[in-house]
Amino acid sequence: MTMNKPDYTGLADTLSSAYSDKWVASDEVETAGAFVQFMSSNDLIFVVLGVSLIIWFVILLFLFRIEKKLALLEHRQTEALESKEDHP
Amino acid sequence: MKFWKYGVAAWLTLVIIFGFLIDIPQIQILKESARNLYFHVPMWFTMYIAFLTGMVYSIRYLNSGKIDLDIKAETATQVGVVFGLCGLLTGSLWARFTWGTWWTFAEPKMNLAAVALLIFVAYFILRTAFDDPEKRARFAAVYNIFAVTTIPFLLYVIPRQLPSLHPGADGNPAFSDMTAPELRIIFYPAVIGFIGLSIWLMDIVYRYKKLNYQLEHTID
Repeated sequence: MTMNKPDYTGLADTLSSAYSDKWVASDEVETAGAFVQFMSSNDLIFVVLGVSLIIWFVILLFLFRIEKKLALLEHRQTEALESKEDHP
Repeated sequence: MKFWKYGVAAWLTLVIIFGFLIDIPQIQILKESARNLYFHVPMWFTMYIAFLTGMVYSIRYLNSGKIDLDIKAETATQVGVVFGLCGLLTGSLWARFTWGTWWTFAEPKMNLAAVALLIFVAYFILRTAFDDPEKRARFAAVYNIFAVTTIPFLLYVIPRQLPSLHPGADGNPAFSDMTAPELRIIFYPAVIGFIGLSIWLMDIVYRYKKLNYQLEHTID
């Protein structure tokens, strides 16, 4: 009885119609929050700035972590060298 | 961690923010991509400084024979190559949207910059050819001094004589009237910031290399 099967193909069509209201791009910037309004202004230049700053801060965080690990290693190395001098 | 490193971090953060936000005049073809001046050109300036630093350490190594100076020379050259690669990649992307191509062999500055980097790649290959650190240091220092002397010719003297789309060709300085003077307000701080970042990187790489050397040569 294939005739009674409901047609799901239309329901799964997320390409031509939105899956949920949440995913609909807001075409009225005026109704969006202050942050979204700000980011959407000036031809989206702030979005590029945001992306660049994220990359820069991640790199900085990475540098700080390496600094910490290096300092620890150096500390251990000087201790090892000193103990070698004390007990040759 | 030393205090000046926080300074470099804050300084470059400000450069990025103001580089994006300050109003720039509309320049034909370049449009907003003129802001690349703040990021692409400092890569090369930083590379020059790093290579020069490497050369100074190489000369000092030949004078004194202290292995620390060789490690410092290698470190500076390595950081220089990293910045040079960034310059080459960012230049290629910029070229795609202003000249219409990722790479062109008709462009002398682009190709000679690539040649310059290859000369320094050879420096690292040369270093791997020696097992004895003293011998490696001596040969590498002599080669490095030669390599650095090619840089002004490859990147200034020759490109300036040839026709090119790149600013700084056809006998003109790079900052000609096609570049708006307002761009200098962020450009010079950007150069300082990226040189600061390179010194930071050299500091980390040197400390790593020194530890590595101690581990390899003090264990009996």
